[in-house]
Amino acid sequence: MNRRTIVAGSAAGLAIVAAGAIALRPDRLLRKRYPPTPYDDLLGLLTDRELARQIGRVYLSGHANFTSATAAGALRKHIAHRPLEIVLTDEVASGQLVEAAHWIMPETLVGLCALAARS
Amino acid sequence: MTPDLAIVGGGPAGITLALALANTPIRILLLESGGFEFDAATQDLYAGEESGVRYIPLNGTRLRYLGGCSNHWGGWSRPLERIDFEKRDWLRYSGWPFPREELEPYFPRAQALIEAGPFLYDRLAKANLPGTLLPLGPGGVYNSFFQFSRWKENPQHLPTAFGHRYADDLKRIANLQTMLHANVTGLRLAKDVRWVDRLDVATLSGRNFTVKPRHTVVACGGIENARLLLASNDVVSTGVGNENDLVGRFFADHAIPRDTATLVVFGGEIAGFYKANADVSGARIRAALAPTDSFRRDRKLLGSTPTVEQRVELDALDQAAVTTVSTAMGVDASNAHAYSLGTGLELAPDPERRVTLDGVRDALGMPRLKLHMTISDDDLTSYRTTLTELGRQLLAAKSGMLRMDRRTRAEWLSVMDWGNHHMGTTRMHDDAKQGVVDANSQVHGLANLFIAGSSVFPTYGASNPTLNLVALTLRLADHLKGVFR
Repeated sequence: MNRRTIVAGSAAGLAIVAAGAIALRPDRLLRKRYPPTPYDDLLGLLTDRELARQIGRVYLSGHANFTSATAAGALRKHIAHRPLEIVLTDEVASGQLVEAAHWIMPETLVGLCALAARS
Repeated sequence: MTPDLAIVGGGPAGITLALALANTPIRILLLESGGFEFDAATQDLYAGEESGVRYIPLNGTRLRYLGGCSNHWGGWSRPLERIDFEKRDWLRYSGWPFPREELEPYFPRAQALIEAGPFLYDRLAKANLPGTLLPLGPGGVYNSFFQFSRWKENPQHLPTAFGHRYADDLKRIANLQTMLHANVTGLRLAKDVRWVDRLDVATLSGRNFTVKPRHTVVACGGIENARLLLASNDVVSTGVGNENDLVGRFFADHAIPRDTATLVVFGGEIAGFYKANADVSGARIRAALAPTDSFRRDRKLLGSTPTVEQRVELDALDQAAVTTVSTAMGVDASNAHAYSLGTGLELAPDPERRVTLDGVRDALGMPRLKLHMTISDDDLTSYRTTLTELGRQLLAAKSGMLRMDRRTRAEWLSVMDWGNHHMGTTRMHDDAKQGVVDANSQVHGLANLFIAGSSVFPTYGASNPTLNLVALTLRLADHLKGVFR
């Protein structure tokens, strides 16, 4: 096995690994990238931060006393590492809803939208 | 003219009463102001003034000829709910003197008279429907159903106009005489003021005559019943049956705000019977989303019947909301459809929402009416609570979501329509100090005067009144048979 063969084989192997990674987690490459914030653990729960920002901006226009740090702390405590879908389902069942942009939405989701708008 | 019974007014109540008392020994005279068709001069007798919240002109909200308001009704039918009859501590002036069970035996015959097919209504939720019911999570709003009146002999002619439909039947009743163009202008009390001695009748052509019935049923409609009692003030200055200043008060209609909310259905098009009338199991139906009795009790809510109006387009912000919510909840909403929601809305009883006599007189010399219309912020808040619950149940079922389209009072009033469902002005109550008529629709303190129609409804519900007032009139007919026995 000569040097040229080893280099070519390694390159091919790396290409296969990269292709596999892309095939298994395409969202990582396709997902929009944002400057890091102190709330990325929460904002990462949102599928589309831009859409969420639109809702958040409207909500914040009527809630001037919203502070990101306080809201983030409360959200982390409330979500407690549970899947977002479960959190929202529980909130709907217990009536923890708010109006945002006139839509009736689960409280935590509106909190995330507001956080996205401020981030 | 000395009939056993005079029926004043040939609308749904008066015609129902005449039909129900057919072939009895009771000699009946039916006095109707109009003829068989609309006539402008007769209609003008209804003109009046309005104040307060914008309402329909008094000569536009009703029709004065045989068949009355059934000549322009939409055929929407739905029985009152059990809670509508209950006295509720949180709803002042609420409650009928009897429960819904008292009316239930009369619903099948009432249903036949309005020609709305088999009596199904909320049982339709378990019928073989041409489409899927909107999934709702557990909660206070349920899929409810209207049925529609239609003329069996001419199914295209919707709905049943009582005058045209039953004119021939009335002619065939041997114990009934019907007089058209005969306006009762006064109920004249006997000197002891415990008895109606005679009725003054006038025509627009200038004839005047008197009728001396043994008993009288006033069935002129939810507004005009009060007018006739108030205007009959020659013996008692406050009018007939008005010792406690109740006649004309507590007027109600169903507020019908349009485009109150936007309903998004994640899965695509909503079933056709939500958007338009559909024929199911021999009935013409339409689905609504109504609060349950238990939810209304728990949350102290008035009745409402939200219905789908039309498909609407969502703007970018709305689409952002739908996408954000649906993806977060793990639902595919790529084919979501949106619809505007209107509603029929019950108003809380209000003694200041009333009709009174005006100084202006009509062509027959009767005082015209003034209507003062109100709708309270609490009435609107009650409906918003129901909408919020509907929005919650849609999310719980992951079937859709809801946007509130009206917030301020001005916004609500800008989209306000009215049902032309005149109710409450001669309300029913066991106590003469709280009602004009008793549980048998007899005017308190007067031995031979009764009132038929929705003017006796003391609490209104959100159901359209015609089916219910026809059932109530059939009950009155049974009572009168006993009176004459």
